[in-house]
Amino acid sequence: MIIRAAILLLVAVVAEIALRLQLGVEPGMVLIPVILFAALIVFILPGRIYRRWGYDMGDEQLRILRGFLWRTDTIVPFNRIQHIDVAQGPLQRLFGLSTLIVHTAGTHNSIVTLPGLATANAEEMRDTIKDHIRQDMI
Amino acid sequence: MNEDTAGLTAQDTAPFRRLHPLSILMKSTTMLGRNIIAIIVLHFSLFDRNIAYTLLAALALITLVAGVTALIWSRFTYQVTDREIRIKSGLLNRNNRSIPFDRIQDVSLEQNLFSRFLRLMTVKLETGAGGGDDDGQLDALARPDAEMLRDTIRDYKAGFSADETAADDPLVAAEAPPLFAMDNRRILIAGLFNFSFVLLAIFGAVAQNLDFLLPDGFFDPRRWIEALPEQEAINSISSEIRIIGALAAILSLVTIGLVSGIVATFVREYGFRLDLVDTGQRGFRRRRGLFTRTDMVMPIHRVQAAILQTGPVRACFGWYHLKFTSLAGDANGETDHSAAPCARLAEIDPILDQCGIHQAPLDLEFGRVNPAFWWRKAVFAGLIITAIALGTGFFLHPGFQAISLLALPVLLILFLNWRHHQYALDDSQIYVRSGWWRRKLTILPLRKIQSIDISQSPLDHPLDLATITLGIAGGSAIRPLKIEAIGFAKAMDLRHRLLSRITMPPTAG
Repeated sequence: MIIRAAILLLVAVVAEIALRLQLGVEPGMVLIPVILFAALIVFILPGRIYRRWGYDMGDEQLRILRGFLWRTDTIVPFNRIQHIDVAQGPLQRLFGLSTLIVHTAGTHNSIVTLPGLATANAEEMRDTIKDHIRQDMI
Repeated sequence: MNEDTAGLTAQDTAPFRRLHPLSILMKSTTMLGRNIIAIIVLHFSLFDRNIAYTLLAALALITLVAGVTALIWSRFTYQVTDREIRIKSGLLNRNNRSIPFDRIQDVSLEQNLFSRFLRLMTVKLETGAGGGDDDGQLDALARPDAEMLRDTIRDYKAGFSADETAADDPLVAAEAPPLFAMDNRRILIAGLFNFSFVLLAIFGAVAQNLDFLLPDGFFDPRRWIEALPEQEAINSISSEIRIIGALAAILSLVTIGLVSGIVATFVREYGFRLDLVDTGQRGFRRRRGLFTRTDMVMPIHRVQAAILQTGPVRACFGWYHLKFTSLAGDANGETDHSAAPCARLAEIDPILDQCGIHQAPLDLEFGRVNPAFWWRKAVFAGLIITAIALGTGFFLHPGFQAISLLALPVLLILFLNWRHHQYALDDSQIYVRSGWWRRKLTILPLRKIQSIDISQSPLDHPLDLATITLGIAGGSAIRPLKIEAIGFAKAMDLRHRLLSRITMPPTAG
């Protein structure tokens, strides 16, 4: 998000300079709305999006909620899961977090990810799901 | 060839085999066919129509192509062990691929016109992983070799060892009455509904590419306007004749569309025949094609969903196109396997029975989705059309305001699409209808559902609507099975009912 906002700001600065040189637009005509928008992206949206992320390990299924404007609510039954990954990026390793990645046979939703779990938690979930995977479900 | 030692202990010591030598001839001919245009172009441009140069260049090209193809052929070997097939290929970048029989989804044999003449067959192995090029392809083998390879793989999957079933020939066993077949009359009917402008497009493309043969400025309208007689000549034609001329133009377009549809259908579906094969593993065997004959076997337990397609006119006559969604895609990039291109419902029922799918019972009530499905799109379409009409009408010519008349058919189609987007659920299957022009009824057994999404876009929140997306193995990734614009509470309820049936202990794979 911060990276996206930074890119947006950079583009805005270039646009601002170009417009000033070409057309003599008043300073700040482009930059100020963009700064406001970037602030929105950096300070408000991540919190909202974080609050919308949620998961629920049922007895038979994994439910994942995500998205603030485009909301999605995915349910994957355990016995439909083909294989499971627990992945860790460099930043995540720093904070002891992991991403649980679940693969299904479906063409749509073949990869369902659940980021930002504590590593121990993610591994525990993986083991629970693993017990449910049966052979030859397709 | 050197196959005499095969069949002994067919372990890792199985011999490496080559493709049939005639495949060199076949491949180089097809490659030359592609380059013949280039030679013709060169003949007219660079060589200044000097036939000697052209022949020389053609000779050089033929030697080059044949040489390279032969080299590739000599470096391509395959080995069939009792568990997997290994393919070594590549001139500089050597590639050593092994495909376990367990992972092979479909084996299809293909013959085009030329390879039929040479009695060769292309074997295509589908593993269901990614695009078609990534899977194994043996291009080409002698016909008995190809059929033996297919039977070896099929027998392995059926759990037999190779020598046990070597005696009975599945080809003979399969010649029982077909499950579904199309005679020429049926193909003609299918072709009538396959109205297309493909042929017209081909003519156009050919004319475009060969325009160097035509005199300069052939496509320049000014030349034709000058060539035309004076305007008075046209004016003097009576209005009846003008109307007749316009009608004739429309009629000829329609005729071309019909004829091209029929021709395309004949080429694809000629001799269509669907059989039930039962060598250990039950499956559908489909043979079709006029020039390129394909022979494909699809195991029944891999069928994920059935799709019944029809159109407004076709539905009146009671014709339906049955397709199956399966793990591996069909040839020509189609995502679904065509099982009966033009059939009555009564003919489709027995095919569906074979894979444990049944038609919607007559008393089953289909539910409509929220009317927002059409009016929301209609508002946007209306806004866009109005904007375009006003914009062009204001800046270019007032006549463009007439574009706004387009809104009417668009609205009508959106409304009809809404009327035909319906869903229903019974004990074991979910039915989803969609589309007015391309009517599609998807019948999905609940045990084949892989995941369920309920999603809401920003536009859905104020209306409290949602879209349900069902994950199926196979099928189109771009257009998954969706129920759009359904009330949020209804969506949650529907999903609950679906899940309660999925997570029950699976009865059959």
